[in-house]
Amino acid sequence: MLCNTMVSIVHTLLFLIGLAIATEEPLNNAEGTNVSGQKFRIMETGIQYPYEEHLNIRPLPHNHLLTSFEFEMNSEPFFPGDSSLDFDTYDHYTVFPKAIEPLLRRTDVKQLHLRFTRGYWDSEEWGRLPHDGFKSGGSGVELWALIEGSSKEDAFKKWKTLANSLSGSFCASINFIDVSKTNYPVLSFNPQDREEQGIPLFNPTNNLYLMHASLANEPICTENLTPLLKLLPSKGKSGISSLLDGHKLFDSTWHNMAIDVKTKCVDNNHYLNNGECFFEMEANVDVVSHIPSVLARNKNPIPKPLGGEDLYCDLSKPYDGYQCFPSPETTEIQFSLSDLFGKNISGSNDLSFTHSRICVSITDNWLATIKMDEGLFGTDDNCFDLTENRNYDIYMESGSTNEVAQIDDVPIYVSRSLTGYGQDHGGLRTVFSNPTSKPVRLSYYESLPWFMRIYLSTLEMEATSEAHKNLTLNDIVESRYYMPSIDRKRSTQLEFIMTIPANCTISLAYEFDKALLHFTEYPPDANHGFEIESLIITILEPVPYQLRTATLLVYLSTPDFSMPYNVIIISSTIMGLIFGTLYNLITKRMVTMEEAENILATRSIKYKLMMLRQRILSKLGL
Amino acid sequence: MSTLSLRKWVCAIFVLTYVVIGLPLWDRLTNIYRAPLPRDYIKSLHENKFYDVHVTIPVYIRSDVYKFPDIHAATQIQVNHLLNSKKQNVQWSLEILLFNETFIELEKAQGREYHIVTLQLDEFVGYNAAYDSKNTVVYFDDPTVARNDLPFFVAQTLVEHTFNVEWGYLSNGDLMHSEHNAVAVNYNPEIHLSINLLKGDGSPVDWEIEETLKTYFTPFRRFLSPLVNFTVDTSVVYFNDLNLHSLNNTDNITWTDVSHSIDLSELSSMNYFSEDSALNLAIVFPSKETNPEGFSFVKVDGEQMWESFIVPQWGVLVINKMPLEANTVVSKDYLDAVLYKFANDLFELLGLSTQFDSLFSPVITIDSFKRIRALQNMNKSVETLWSLIKLTEQFKQMAIPRDVLEKVKEVLDIRLQIVEILNNPAKGDDLSWDEALNLSNKMVQRSEEAFFDGQMLKQNFFPQEHKLAVYMPLMGPITIVLFTGFVSLFKETESGSKEKKESLSEEEKKEVEETKAVGAIEGVDEIN
Repeated sequence: MLCNTMVSIVHTLLFLIGLAIATEEPLNNAEGTNVSGQKFRIMETGIQYPYEEHLNIRPLPHNHLLTSFEFEMNSEPFFPGDSSLDFDTYDHYTVFPKAIEPLLRRTDVKQLHLRFTRGYWDSEEWGRLPHDGFKSGGSGVELWALIEGSSKEDAFKKWKTLANSLSGSFCASINFIDVSKTNYPVLSFNPQDREEQGIPLFNPTNNLYLMHASLANEPICTENLTPLLKLLPSKGKSGISSLLDGHKLFDSTWHNMAIDVKTKCVDNNHYLNNGECFFEMEANVDVVSHIPSVLARNKNPIPKPLGGEDLYCDLSKPYDGYQCFPSPETTEIQFSLSDLFGKNISGSNDLSFTHSRICVSITDNWLATIKMDEGLFGTDDNCFDLTENRNYDIYMESGSTNEVAQIDDVPIYVSRSLTGYGQDHGGLRTVFSNPTSKPVRLSYYESLPWFMRIYLSTLEMEATSEAHKNLTLNDIVESRYYMPSIDRKRSTQLEFIMTIPANCTISLAYEFDKALLHFTEYPPDANHGFEIESLIITILEPVPYQLRTATLLVYLSTPDFSMPYNVIIISSTIMGLIFGTLYNLITKRMVTMEEAENILATRSIKYKLMMLRQRILSKLGL
Repeated sequence: MSTLSLRKWVCAIFVLTYVVIGLPLWDRLTNIYRAPLPRDYIKSLHENKFYDVHVTIPVYIRSDVYKFPDIHAATQIQVNHLLNSKKQNVQWSLEILLFNETFIELEKAQGREYHIVTLQLDEFVGYNAAYDSKNTVVYFDDPTVARNDLPFFVAQTLVEHTFNVEWGYLSNGDLMHSEHNAVAVNYNPEIHLSINLLKGDGSPVDWEIEETLKTYFTPFRRFLSPLVNFTVDTSVVYFNDLNLHSLNNTDNITWTDVSHSIDLSELSSMNYFSEDSALNLAIVFPSKETNPEGFSFVKVDGEQMWESFIVPQWGVLVINKMPLEANTVVSKDYLDAVLYKFANDLFELLGLSTQFDSLFSPVITIDSFKRIRALQNMNKSVETLWSLIKLTEQFKQMAIPRDVLEKVKEVLDIRLQIVEILNNPAKGDDLSWDEALNLSNKMVQRSEEAFFDGQMLKQNFFPQEHKLAVYMPLMGPITIVLFTGFVSLFKETESGSKEKKESLSEEEKKEVEETKAVGAIEGVDEIN
């Protein structure tokens, strides 16, 4: 028999041979012997990844400033037919986030749109929304996705998985999206465009389902921003994303975070066989800050009254040492981006050939320069490329801040409000105002919770101007789609394609009943009311544009929550009383008045005492 | 019938209705459905998990030069003797059979392979195992035959070497607690593997990972596929050096310091993939900005500028000494070495070998682990079922839906199927073991589904006290009225006879008249 050492040598040898042959690789590649070839080599031409980032800065009237961060990235190509269990299938991730791609592939999502928006965009002052509104959502969280599925139920199941996973990834309550909050838009969200884009179907027998849901007025905060930064390859540590900081970003008038992912295939006709597909993701962060407020807060983190020397009084009104009407806002301003965001931009994006780029849209009375190592540099087109690995800052100043770069006119203003009073019914009124000289064709998408039972028969249209007095609803509405609600299972979905004539203001109004909820359906803060998601208007002609109205707060009658227990107690007491009486009537002995009096007489204390006395006396023989 | 006895009858009927019909009905209507789980059977299984298991592995023995007609019988005796020398925690034995070429060839054509021992005449005594088949070669010389040592030698080779995994788990050690349990991940038929290249800074880097994986890893995945299927992803992560730069200003760094400061939280790919289990390989390069001189604690060994170590139940960490220049391509040559090390460590992470004890032959070991995993899975699911029983016994008001019962029954059925395969000496080929393993995986899955049934938790939020609180306003008054009435009716019989006695004497009547006259009787209402 061989000695132990021999055995272990044989073991080791066998293992090495076994593994080497199992991996079809010659033994000389083993660790330590591998010296052939170069381990690391420098690519002289550089390494490029599909990632880009831009920052656009645009002053708005009344000392507001819009900063728009844009990040674009593509995933590594993949073959839809490959299963990840195949022995030679390997998924690669470089700049595209690993948190998103496996999820999209598992749930067959072809397009994903996620919005976190909060605040009020003053379109009358600030003009059009950034990206023509296609990257903004209604106040709260909004999610819509195009999902491939064999049936509606299958697609909904995937949608639910998607919502739950996103909820975990983004620390938001997206998991509250359920069947009663999910809608299937028909006329809105550009169905024609979808067809033209040729969205790939990985299984030809499947269909695409567009699903939409929103959580109105959901609070957005820094815990939602951090996951978004983690999706970027720079992780918020270099390039323009290093500016994004939760503490400053949410101290703003209006802010919006958007994520859009699309599936693209190299050759749409052949992707099923061996064509490559990839995901394209855009992430946007838009912020509107009121510069004087931010600067004031930087100076005095705890608000306190200004000293006399800092006060600017309105000279047209009486003023003295004790009385001062503050003058309207100053029109002179100097600030740098680090004042607004609390940080400098550290370094650039090195992952692609296009470096991080910052562009400022300003008029001649503004000055924008880039600050590098205490030196200020300007350019003709006010665009700056960050090429080096150092700290940058943007410095801006102006003597007349109200003169800002040309703001595009908004094609339409839409506002929606609640009418009526009381806790059992109410109404909704939407006002469309077309300030342009061209008719505007738009799609109207409204989703209302099931507890608002609308009466479509009460739908009325009213035009304010004399010229359009004779307009009827049918003149305006081209096509309509109405999906009535089912209690607890489906929300009301109302969609119109309509045309608003030039220079015209019309209003649409209808009424609804408020349903009573089940005892357990009320949220913990039942008296807060119920948030109703925004109305979504997509302009089809003359210019593509999308806007959302403010969310609404509907009050429902709130029950006294101790009521069920009170009811139990009262009804039980009544039943107990009835039973007791009945039971006594049946089981107690019936006696005549005379008998009763006799019994009473024998039971009185005096009688008993007398009996006792008699007994004692009789015993004593008296 | 007198009025009193009629009243007693009525009262008794009321009380009887309340006790015999009312209370059971109330209990029945407000009770929670609890399916009858086979508690006793599961308890007996839990106490003696493998009482009906006797793993029988057929081994065919052949001799090329000499013909030994009774070698199989002689070896069988030796094998039995050897196996009986130790207490077995799971019964197992080898069935030594004479080699039948036609049968083996026929089976092989269908993809069924058996354990074969080949006896080969040589200059020395020894043994060897093929890496790609379940074939053990035993070398013997003439004196061995003369001394009749061959059967013992074959038996020893088989038990201690070919089946050393079984010998270790089933005879010598504990099936569930082996010494490499701390490092190995829990067995799962599907494991996700994440290969990450981490870089402390943000300058671009590329790696030839696809080619390396296809040459190295694809055969490896195929090879391990009967036991475990891998899904693999690779990623490049920037601005993450696992917090190793924090060790920059510390002197005399030990591996303990390194393991304390490592932050693996951002590499947990378990969140993104559907597999239940994940292993990682992280190749870390320091940042050129924070560590231009590299990590001082990484020791350079000749050409090799990196060190690797196993993070138990997580994966392998490869820490490079020097940072990468911008626009570097990490070549296949470098990755080959790293992946070779990783593949080695992977055996340990999967629990197939330990650092002290390497593999005898990969094919034979994997075959053995199919049986061990099947037994471990059986053990695990019986434990799960027992936990389910304990849980339901602890929470009396917990609902047990019919689904749970169905799943428990399915688990027990699957268990019997597995036992049938393991015990049957006729089923000793590759495919049978695969089937046993698959069934055992299914068994674990079903038992966990039964344990984690969401319906079971629902009623737990409604404890017994609440039920009582809700029904007390109704039950309380009714019970009090009913029973005080019942008791007073009993008392009435005694007081009734007293009254009869008392009403006898004329004298007393007089007294009553007198008291009445004095006005002693006041309106005290003592009649209820």
